[in-house]
Amino acid sequence: MIWQTYQLDNKTLKANEPITLWKTENGIIEISKGTLAKPIMLDDQRKGYVFHGQSKLLLDTIVETEKGAVGKPVEKEMTEPFLMLGDTETIQEHLSTADKQDLEIAGYENEQQLTARAKELCDRFFRRTSVCGHGTFGWNHGFIFAFPNNANKLDVLIAKDTNLIYRATDRVFLSNKGKAILKTPGEVIIAHSGRSFVVKRSCCV
Amino acid sequence: MSEDIKEEMKRLREEIASLKEQLGNVTEMEQRRRHGIYIDVGERMRDYMGDVMESVAEGIHGELDKCVFIGPRGVRIIREKGEPYKDEEETETNFPKAAEVMSALGQEHRLRILRELVRGGKYANELQEKLSEITASTLSSHLKVLEGAGLVVQEKVRGRYLITMPGRTAYNMATRITRIIERGNQE
Repeated sequence: MIWQTYQLDNKTLKANEPITLWKTENGIIEISKGTLAKPIMLDDQRKGYVFHGQSKLLLDTIVETEKGAVGKPVEKEMTEPFLMLGDTETIQEHLSTADKQDLEIAGYENEQQLTARAKELCDRFFRRTSVCGHGTFGWNHGFIFAFPNNANKLDVLIAKDTNLIYRATDRVFLSNKGKAILKTPGEVIIAHSGRSFVVKRSCCV
Repeated sequence: MSEDIKEEMKRLREEIASLKEQLGNVTEMEQRRRHGIYIDVGERMRDYMGDVMESVAEGIHGELDKCVFIGPRGVRIIREKGEPYKDEEETETNFPKAAEVMSALGQEHRLRILRELVRGGKYANELQEKLSEITASTLSSHLKVLEGAGLVVQEKVRGRYLITMPGRTAYNMATRITRIIERGNQE
């Protein structure tokens, strides 16, 4: 897939009801009713959306070790546009065409303003993310989310089945069933089947 | 006719080679699945994951190089030069935080909650069952105090309560001090 050739659909959609975009025992991402959605198209197919509205991310970036739990959950109310790539079909039925009033509620005077912000986010993601550094991206299943953060960078969450990668400015978290790695500015914790290894601050690079 | 057979043999050989290659790929993927976290998100992401793991490994190696010497006569732990070992009593203590932690520990019910969590993560209703002498609202407020002090953490998605590393250390410290004092009183 050559993501540099992606396009944003002319249509602007909105959520007819609260939608759970992704949910596992580790995390959940929900968007509220009225959230605007701009479809991301590739070869005339919907591959994802840029959402803008009241949305929520909960993610337990906690590693359980035999000496106690390490890490804190992420609880993020998202008011800025964020990007999702992945299964678009299941949520499609909960979306309908947005009108001018829906755009105004979200703070936009017209569709062009939303398109411009969505394009800016997509350009940042597809340009800066190493996933697509060479314009290719071998993603077939699962989800990728990218959220702008306070440091004006993108937090990225990649999920497929029980596999999870979360990369933010203050932590990197990888998990799969009994295995987990958490890297924070202070330490790195590696846990596997109840056993764990902790590397403290001076070792972190 | 023999030309046809030769052609057919050649085609079959090519097909076998192709199948072997595919089988090799599948085996390699399967092995990688068995040996760790594996997500098929393309070469670039694998490179990124590799970078993260490499930086973790380098950190561990670097630290071990600094402080562990493995020689013919065994293993020696070396302390870094210029950073003499500081006794716990010499290091600066954040007294307000220490008081908060001690205050969180200074309640019988909260110690009982910690004991339950030492045995494994639990939902509020499981804790309620184990500690039936505490009402639901009191349990909830105790958990908030423990969470505020950093001794307990609650998962946001599943809602389970887990004891943290400091929580476990604090609980062990409290029980150890109690045992020492009790032993002293008996003597």
